[in-house]
Amino acid sequence: MANSNIIIEGIKWGRDRIRGDRADELYVDIHEGETLMNIDKLRIVYRIDDKEIVAVDDFTIDIKKGELVSIIGPSGCGKTTILRCIAGLLQPTSGTIMIGNNEVRGAGSDRGMVFQDFALFPWRTVKQNVQFGMEMAGVSKEEREERAMRYIKAVGLERFAESRIHELSGGMKQRVGIARALVMHPAITLMDEPFGALDAQTRNIMQEQLVKIIQRSERTILFVTHSVDEALYLSDRVVILTKRPSTIHKIVEVPWDRPRDRTNPEFTQMRKDILAYLEDQNVMDN
Amino acid sequence: MEFRYDKHNKYHRFARGCVITVISLIALLWVWWVVSIIVQKSLVVNISPLASPQSAFAALFSLMQNGDPLEHRSLWSWVWSSLSKFFKGFILAMAIALPVGLLMGNFRLIREFLTPWVEVIRPIAPIAWAPILVIIFQATNGSIMVVFIGIFFPLLTNIVFGVQKIDPVLIDAAKTLGASDAQIFIKVLVPSTIPYLMNGIKVGLGVGWMCIVAAELYNTTLSGIGYFVKFMIDNASYDYAFAGIIIIAVLGLLTTGVAEYVSKVVSRRMGVDI
Repeated sequence: MANSNIIIEGIKWGRDRIRGDRADELYVDIHEGETLMNIDKLRIVYRIDDKEIVAVDDFTIDIKKGELVSIIGPSGCGKTTILRCIAGLLQPTSGTIMIGNNEVRGAGSDRGMVFQDFALFPWRTVKQNVQFGMEMAGVSKEEREERAMRYIKAVGLERFAESRIHELSGGMKQRVGIARALVMHPAITLMDEPFGALDAQTRNIMQEQLVKIIQRSERTILFVTHSVDEALYLSDRVVILTKRPSTIHKIVEVPWDRPRDRTNPEFTQMRKDILAYLEDQNVMDN
Repeated sequence: MEFRYDKHNKYHRFARGCVITVISLIALLWVWWVVSIIVQKSLVVNISPLASPQSAFAALFSLMQNGDPLEHRSLWSWVWSSLSKFFKGFILAMAIALPVGLLMGNFRLIREFLTPWVEVIRPIAPIAWAPILVIIFQATNGSIMVVFIGIFFPLLTNIVFGVQKIDPVLIDAAKTLGASDAQIFIKVLVPSTIPYLMNGIKVGLGVGWMCIVAAELYNTTLSGIGYFVKFMIDNASYDYAFAGIIIIAVLGLLTTGVAEYVSKVVSRRMGVDI
């Protein structure tokens, strides 16, 4: 490994973590198109008082290196819960999540996360937010500075590098969130409805920018959304979940090259079909 | 040129505030003056314990120029001995409340164990400890301990509250960026608590200043502005006693004013509004 200050430690769940920047180097042996992450029979059960609620059941999927997979499903179906398990922020009731040969047993820097409500540190500037992970990994000041600026430029915020978070608009905040996750070179980036808090227009711009970013650098992204349009615009594959207990209803391959044309009749037809299914599920709920 | 008050102009608003404050203070002096005359008239003795504003200000100027009338110690030496005790008590309170508050906020068991202690001791007026503390720790250190108790609880409760108020998603974010528990504590928990700490300091300084003045009434080291007031009253120099009270008021205003300003600046810098 070229730059290996990556450390894997711990034995107990939640204490087990991979830290260090460029954790993607752990998985250089896995080539593009090969399975990077394997989720096997994931089951998540909540306990509220004496009632057990099965949020997710029998969720099994392989994610290949370099692909963008969206998870979509009826509201409240546990999409975010799945993502939190992969991030290691939540312990699944049963089932395994493997990234390469490492089983997920806690949070780690090989899985970056972009949060719906940004989760930026308000006492830090844009640049300091982007540097946070590298600071934790003990990256030198010069390298931190250089890499942070490169990613801030990539998301078009160079004029705001020294700004504080409350001075930014929602779209700008999420660009900081994306830069902060990607600068760490995670093996896989988890995005939890990243554009859900933004207005429709900003949302479209952000989607286009994300397409540009993933075209420039090969990234493996797992993307949770409740917008069918967004899922079809961005993803290589769309995982459609059933209502609770969530399990995979269907995985749709999206064949077109990016950037995509939303007005393409096939695109529209595919969107219609998925929407009809989701509506059906929501109606059954009521 | 005709002047019109514009409520959207911040200079106009500021000037308006100043004018009202000045009028209010003049009215306060007038009320003081009227009450002092009433008290004077109702008394058989010649010297009223409620000095008039004129005599109090005359005493204040003489105090600034010549020191006190009995021992000729300078005003600054009286004030400084209070301030130094006040700051020592404050630093001691910070040094203990900060780690204890962070631990209580962060670890549920510690919080659950210590909360009954806090809730039993906190409602006791800090000054109620003064007679005992002055015996245990001697006069100077006893006063410092009273200030410590006064400042400690507002600080502690605000820090504990601040730690618990932290947005859990920030901790999640730090975890996914590879932060260890210790790093989360230092780099996320502590900074996010600072605005609440500032709020605690703001409240604590007000309480602490009251404590030092009150504690000095029990003081046997013969120092401090609180003792000065008592000393003057014991010698029937009521005008000097009121000069001392004016100084106490001004210093109290200054400490809380500075704390308020600093807390505002810090909160804005930390991006938190409380």
